[in-house]
Amino acid sequence: MYHCFEIDGVDHQVWLSASRRDYRLHLRDQVIAPVGFAHHSNSSGILNIAGESEPVRFVIDGDMIHVHIRGRTRTLRYRDPLQTLASVSQEASSLVARAPMPGVVVTTTVSPGQSVTAGMALMMIESMKLETIIRSPQDGVVDRIHFKEGESFERDAALVTLSKEGR
Amino acid sequence: MQRIASVVDVNSQVFRHNELHNRRLAAELKERQRSARFHRPERELQRLRRQNKLFVRDRIETLLDPETPFLELSTLAANKAYDGEVPGAAQVVGIGIVAGREVIVHADDASVKSGAWYPLSVKKIVRALDIAIENRLPVIHLCDCAGGFLPLQAEFFADRYYAGRILRNQSILSKMGVPQVAIAMGHCTAGGAYVPALSEYNIIVEGTGAIFLGGPPVVKAATGENVSVEELGGANMHTSVSGTSDYLASSEMHAIAIARDIVARFHRPEKTLIDRAAPEPPSYDESELYGIIPKDTRVQFDMRQIIARLVDGSRFHEFQQRYGTSLVCGFARLHGYQIGILANNGVLFGDSALKGAHFIQLCDKNRTPLLFLQNVTGFMVGREYERQGITKHGAKLIMAVSSASVPKFTVICNGSHGAGTYAMAGRAFDPRFVFTWPQSEISAMGAEQAAGVLTHVKARQLAREGGRLSDQELATIREPILQEYRERSSAYYATSEIWDDGILDPVDTRSALAIVLSASLNAPIAAPHYGVFRM
Amino acid sequence: MHTPPFDTVLVANRGEIAVRIIKTLRKLGLRSAVVYHEIDSNTPAISMADTAIEISGLSPIAAYLDIAQIVTAAHKARADALHPGYGFLSENAEFARAVRKAGIAFIGPAPETIELMGDKIRARKFVQCNGFPVAPSAVDEDDPEGFVVRARAIGAPLLVKPSGGGGGKGMRIVRDLDCLEDAIEQSRREGQRYFGDRRVYVERYIERPRHIEVQVLGDRFGNVVHLFERECSVQRRFQKIIEETPSPALSPQLRQRICETAVGIARAANYQNAGTVEFIFCAGEFYFLEMNARLQVEHPVTELITGVDLVAEQIHAAAGRALGFSQSDIVSHGHAIEIRLYAEAPERGYAPTTGKVLLLEYPDGVRIDSGILQGQNITTAFDPMLAKIIAHAQTRGESALKAHRAIREMILLGCETNASFLARILADEAFLAGEIHTGYLEEHPHIAADNFSFGLSAFLASAALLTKPVRESADAVPPLHAALGSWRN
Repeated sequence: MYHCFEIDGVDHQVWLSASRRDYRLHLRDQVIAPVGFAHHSNSSGILNIAGESEPVRFVIDGDMIHVHIRGRTRTLRYRDPLQTLASVSQEASSLVARAPMPGVVVTTTVSPGQSVTAGMALMMIESMKLETIIRSPQDGVVDRIHFKEGESFERDAALVTLSKEGR
Repeated sequence: MQRIASVVDVNSQVFRHNELHNRRLAAELKERQRSARFHRPERELQRLRRQNKLFVRDRIETLLDPETPFLELSTLAANKAYDGEVPGAAQVVGIGIVAGREVIVHADDASVKSGAWYPLSVKKIVRALDIAIENRLPVIHLCDCAGGFLPLQAEFFADRYYAGRILRNQSILSKMGVPQVAIAMGHCTAGGAYVPALSEYNIIVEGTGAIFLGGPPVVKAATGENVSVEELGGANMHTSVSGTSDYLASSEMHAIAIARDIVARFHRPEKTLIDRAAPEPPSYDESELYGIIPKDTRVQFDMRQIIARLVDGSRFHEFQQRYGTSLVCGFARLHGYQIGILANNGVLFGDSALKGAHFIQLCDKNRTPLLFLQNVTGFMVGREYERQGITKHGAKLIMAVSSASVPKFTVICNGSHGAGTYAMAGRAFDPRFVFTWPQSEISAMGAEQAAGVLTHVKARQLAREGGRLSDQELATIREPILQEYRERSSAYYATSEIWDDGILDPVDTRSALAIVLSASLNAPIAAPHYGVFRM
Repeated sequence: MHTPPFDTVLVANRGEIAVRIIKTLRKLGLRSAVVYHEIDSNTPAISMADTAIEISGLSPIAAYLDIAQIVTAAHKARADALHPGYGFLSENAEFARAVRKAGIAFIGPAPETIELMGDKIRARKFVQCNGFPVAPSAVDEDDPEGFVVRARAIGAPLLVKPSGGGGGKGMRIVRDLDCLEDAIEQSRREGQRYFGDRRVYVERYIERPRHIEVQVLGDRFGNVVHLFERECSVQRRFQKIIEETPSPALSPQLRQRICETAVGIARAANYQNAGTVEFIFCAGEFYFLEMNARLQVEHPVTELITGVDLVAEQIHAAAGRALGFSQSDIVSHGHAIEIRLYAEAPERGYAPTTGKVLLLEYPDGVRIDSGILQGQNITTAFDPMLAKIIAHAQTRGESALKAHRAIREMILLGCETNASFLARILADEAFLAGEIHTGYLEEHPHIAADNFSFGLSAFLASAALLTKPVRESADAVPPLHAALGSWRN
């Protein structure tokens, strides 16, 4: 399974393999060797590529890698296969926020029709004297709130149902 | 170490004839492998596409680290069985690199009989797990199996090394601390259900993966209950209700990504250290092997010329060059690893056996793995030799081979017959791996010789009944005996029965040996320890 | 001029121009104040100014257009003068009046002048009446009934322009006269939308025209001088990208003619303060286009070749002082080129880009007028211009080379810019030969279209080597297996 970098919406498959002192860069249609990188500071270094030396300036910001070489700047995004492959088919069940344990609704922080983003608080529940915030499993629009404040529910009960935007 | 001088004349007629012949054999091997790997009825491939499943080869290629080798084992298992309808025994097994780690890959091939287990499938899986145990290699199971092929259940169900052994081996691996990862990419039914269940980690693919002891028809028949595959053993149920599976994957690709991530987290035990130098290619072209291996298997050749095309720099430190000359012994390096080589240059005599037993002990003492290069018709027979103790000398060699605790590797280069097969670390002596070359013959006795004996027995029988056979009649009896004997001593038959770990194109031998040598060092090497040598 | 002209000057602007003005204020020993919207709180002008006063609005732009708030801010800062910069309220006569009425000096021309020059049709007529050249044209309000007929009579190709506009908005080129009426209608609609003015006019469209403008300075004593021309022909969608002086298109005689024409127009308008007279130039002929009653974005090229600080001159003029030099004192040295760094992607139709400035390093040996800081967010709330690089050298070729080197050495990571596009222009044969006109970029589409694959492997190699999981997966493979590569049996 190759690694993948996205540049301007286009995926590029790459693989690095170690050779005796440096690395070989495998792209889908070519191999470039040797390649190596000597760090000078946390934002600069020298790229050695097929016998040429290129001064490189860079900033790594999460999965985004901003690179400046010879007056050109590009932003490459590392595509973690676990993330990209998982998101291929978002399963329908994640459109429902379920109760992780039996409990009582303390407050509801959203209302039907409201747009929510993944991780946003939907509801606070109380269970075993412990308050837990129920967060949105993904981006969407609140479709239904299944329990009113003060109502109790069982484990795995659907608390809030979301619909995908624009549906 | 001295470089072996090449005495091969690549321009000679003999060389060119041999080369032509052996290249043809190699091409035939490749063609048979290609066919076993890819030749499938169109409807099987269509069914996979319909089910949104990847072909087993694509699954494996995706699983492996790109730009790393994959040594596929027993590629032609079952090629002479079941009318050739179960290529590779419906299993793919090999040693590869996943997330930088040497692992055994075991994959059901759902394009063959829906991945059903035949007797030889079971044997191949058991062997794969034996390799994992012996070499402490983690295993990745890519499960997609319709269950055992019931009409042949008597040949794979109950005995010691039958299907139960798969589950037993899995448990032993786990006990040893060698982890396994299974991906349920299709159905894992009955015994097959335990493969993911007995793995340390398992991943199930949503939509196509399912695990259950009895599928919906079995449940219906047993209890009358109507239940869907998804409800009975689907991905959502097993990851959220039963806890049988650990990870839910949205696709096969996703499952493979998860498996790679799991392997990347595995503890990496220190490998056994053996003497190692910087690797160096052989001084002579490996493809010259084609011109050296004789077209006629009965023609003797100098194994040093083979060694020169397998080992680093073609350098060989020969031990007791002047004694027991029908067994060549010495040290060499393979991809930098020091190995001890025992190679046949003719029939085994008492002195050759003594030399071999001595050399094995030397290697065992200094932690040097052993490579056996077989071309042996057996031990010398005859009154004089028996009086000199050929049997007890042979016993010493067998004792040394059996007891040596360093990893052993065997390549059957040409003939492998009689007690020679045993004394040169045949399959029964648990070498870590056994490979063969395409033209090799493996049997208790050479074909001509055996056919002679068998014809003689038959003739005597007939004679007792009063008949007397003409030479013509003798020939008519002899021919089919010879034919069948030849067939069943061939490398293709041996590999079909999984007496070895696969036939190699001779030029692939060096790389294959490097891979298995490296793999073997995942297991510790016990201290030298021997039984009683008859003196 | 030993007494300072003012005590405190409020800069009613943002970004690079606010920084630029504050620099001169510091040089002159004046206190500086600046207004800012919250979104700009982490910009260099705010940290440089002695006082920063927050303003708000329905949108960030609305804040900078809010006359009342800005006048209040000026009082709060105890400012006795206000510099409007360019854009926003800089050419708003009502604003200039409000500032004056508040007892604060407006650093710019008189409101009447702004009004005159702000109305494109009135300005044209004014220039024409004073005997200066304008392109053959038809103005609809002169005789709305016969407008189309008169426009037609000029002959194709024509350019339809909204009267109230600027910046190229609502402009249409008509090559086929059958399309004229549609174009007029569209222009009206856009004029209404952008400027609240439905009036349009039509003039002869000059093919492959060059945009040449002349910097002028006037004081309240009737002195008007020019500081030579600037050529701003490299444009995209009527937005200037590269400006330079002197223009490679002018002979000394033509230069003298065009500069004197500009001075004549300014003098006729009793122009006080700094201004720019823009001309359309083609084949040795030039026509008045419009006059900008403010400081121009591209003013630094003029400053570099003349050594005059235009902002300082604006302040002195606003303080009622006479120009400190006469025309003959102004001498041009060498050649200057300004390139504008935009947060936009020329490769994708100049689409604006956003991000955060994660790494910012300026090249040496050139003038940098920048309005950004490391750590600053780049949003689409304002004009996408981030900074200007201005190179000065003996010749045009050397100056272009210097600018080219500078743009390649400029490091801005975290937000996509047009830097490599600018580098491509500066290395383009036609540009280097001085063969430029306002349609130059449309005529050379390869400049905007980045050769994507060029150097791609170096970027992928860098990213691969800098990404931990990629490097780790390479290092994890045992050397033996790495050496065997993708071997299969």
